[in-house]
Amino acid sequence: MKKMSKTRLIVCLAAVLLIYVGAWFAEKSAGTNSMLVTVLKKGAVYALIAVSMNLLNGFTGLFSLGQAGFMLVGAYVYAVFTIPLKRHAAVYQYYNGGIIQFELPLLVALILAGLVAAGLAALVGLPVLRLKSDYLAIATLGFAEIIRAVVQWDSLGPVTNGSNLLKTYPTFSSTKILGSTVLFPFIVSGVCIGLILLIINSTYGRAFKAIRDDEVAAEAMGINLFHHKELAFVISCFFAGIGGALLAMFQGTVQANSFKSAMTYDILLMVVIGGMGSVSGSVIASFLYIACSEWWLRFLDNEQFIGSFQVPLLRSGFRMVVFSIVIMVVVLFFRRGIMGDRELWNLRLPKKKKGKEGLK
Amino acid sequence: MSRNVLRLENITMQFGGVVAINDLSMRIDEGEIVALIGPNGAGKTTAFNCITGVYEPTNGAVYFNDKVIAASHPAGKMKRMYAGSDPEKFAGMHVTMTPDHITRLGIARTFQNIRLFKSQTAFENVLIATHLRRKSNIFTAMFRLNWQEEKRNRERAMELLDIVGLKDMAGEKATSLPYGMQRRLEIARALATEPSLLLLDEPAAGMNPQETLELGAFIQQIKKDFNLTVFVIEHHMDLVMGISDRIYVIEFGKQIAEGTPAEIQNNQAVIDAYLGGNDE
Repeated sequence: MKKMSKTRLIVCLAAVLLIYVGAWFAEKSAGTNSMLVTVLKKGAVYALIAVSMNLLNGFTGLFSLGQAGFMLVGAYVYAVFTIPLKRHAAVYQYYNGGIIQFELPLLVALILAGLVAAGLAALVGLPVLRLKSDYLAIATLGFAEIIRAVVQWDSLGPVTNGSNLLKTYPTFSSTKILGSTVLFPFIVSGVCIGLILLIINSTYGRAFKAIRDDEVAAEAMGINLFHHKELAFVISCFFAGIGGALLAMFQGTVQANSFKSAMTYDILLMVVIGGMGSVSGSVIASFLYIACSEWWLRFLDNEQFIGSFQVPLLRSGFRMVVFSIVIMVVVLFFRRGIMGDRELWNLRLPKKKKGKEGLK
Repeated sequence: MSRNVLRLENITMQFGGVVAINDLSMRIDEGEIVALIGPNGAGKTTAFNCITGVYEPTNGAVYFNDKVIAASHPAGKMKRMYAGSDPEKFAGMHVTMTPDHITRLGIARTFQNIRLFKSQTAFENVLIATHLRRKSNIFTAMFRLNWQEEKRNRERAMELLDIVGLKDMAGEKATSLPYGMQRRLEIARALATEPSLLLLDEPAAGMNPQETLELGAFIQQIKKDFNLTVFVIEHHMDLVMGISDRIYVIEFGKQIAEGTPAEIQNNQAVIDAYLGGNDE
């Protein structure tokens, strides 16, 4: 990675700050419950998750599909440890109030969510990372499904509440910063993406990219393949765990059943649309993706009338059809995604359009 | 007598029923330039792969500075299949090091069909090869507490690019460089791992006579500057005869001759192998 010039760095940081101010202002003017704010919050959460997946799939060349499983672990760890003690009886109503009789501060629980996911990743990585390409994808996908099943296991009920909802833990509305709910997810995922960027541009990040480009040559240059793959996997899952915790905060309730493999595919799509190997691409794509699926294409789900003419095809579920077609077009004609493997801040100056979307 | 840097003892490499290398033994002394030649498919690159840990030899041992870096001995009935090897010699020995470990010990290599990191610039390609001598861990690297090391590595990478004459192209994508330059970049990358033994796999492939001549001088130069021992596979006889101290010739995985360039040129077995003398 070329060394970034000082001015460029300052411009980028200023752009990020501007986005934060913009997000804050958007909430103040549009209201906390507006669609815009929902999209911003969910987009910020997914941006972190997409970047963490990109670190694995785009930068290290490991085709892993286990992201939903590690998000689930993060979400559960966060939720279990932050449900207020006096609510335990109500939440764990089938399990006599559960066995965890303490609660952790929010930020501690958030980091713990990442650590537990990372620890699990370290264990899973031992056998799984010896596999290559498709086989790795299948193994990690299978692992994610196993986690989902295990969490719902009745014997673990006193901890995980079985297949019932976890709720009443602190959400984004209880983490107001400057009277705004949108800043917390923006700051947490901004910091995490910043850390990932630091790793990618360090000597370890270069080693990851070397493994992606040519494993044989990387090994001949003294890079221990297994050690570095495991490292990338653990780091990626750490941030996926935090992302899962943020998603739990966004949703307000957590249930294992919602972390299906379809969720991993959503994230994979964001990574592909944004560009494999581009952090800013993943961020832009996740905001666009969330905005399209939650907001801009919503009208397709309702029957529309122009005068007395009913527009054909528009009915519940049609949104997903259009959405799928859009994705197919992207994959067919823009195979390298929005950004390819470039970054917004490394583009040549004539194409200056920084600060268009949350780039950090 | 100078010290052995690399020693191969009775190396056999078998892929299923195909014996790629059959009972090959050789030694390379410190400061030598040794060439390995032979017709296509003779097993030269396989020998390199056995030394660098890409393949695990079926039988035999490889020593680097008198330390075993690869050794194995086939157990059970497979033994009988190894025609030339002494069945008891390596019994009980089993050492397999991964290629990265061997590189860290000080053996660097280039590849026959260039294997550069395609999406990276020339500079980054060399910089990546300094990673293995790092003292930083993931956290110090992440928060740039290793900036001194990083700075040193960047300077060193630039120096190496300068030595191979690619300084002006440091920012170019590796794959956009001309073929000859890519070969030189591979050598720079190998040198960045701070080796004591350099393995070059057909460094002159695809080069014209003028470039080949320059390459010969270049190899001798870096050998002197970096205090290296060089082991080279090559087809260009001018280059081989010009730079090597000793030459090994193999055919069908078996060694057929060993000696100085002058000896090899007059060796009947070598002439037969190259001109197909036994066919008549």
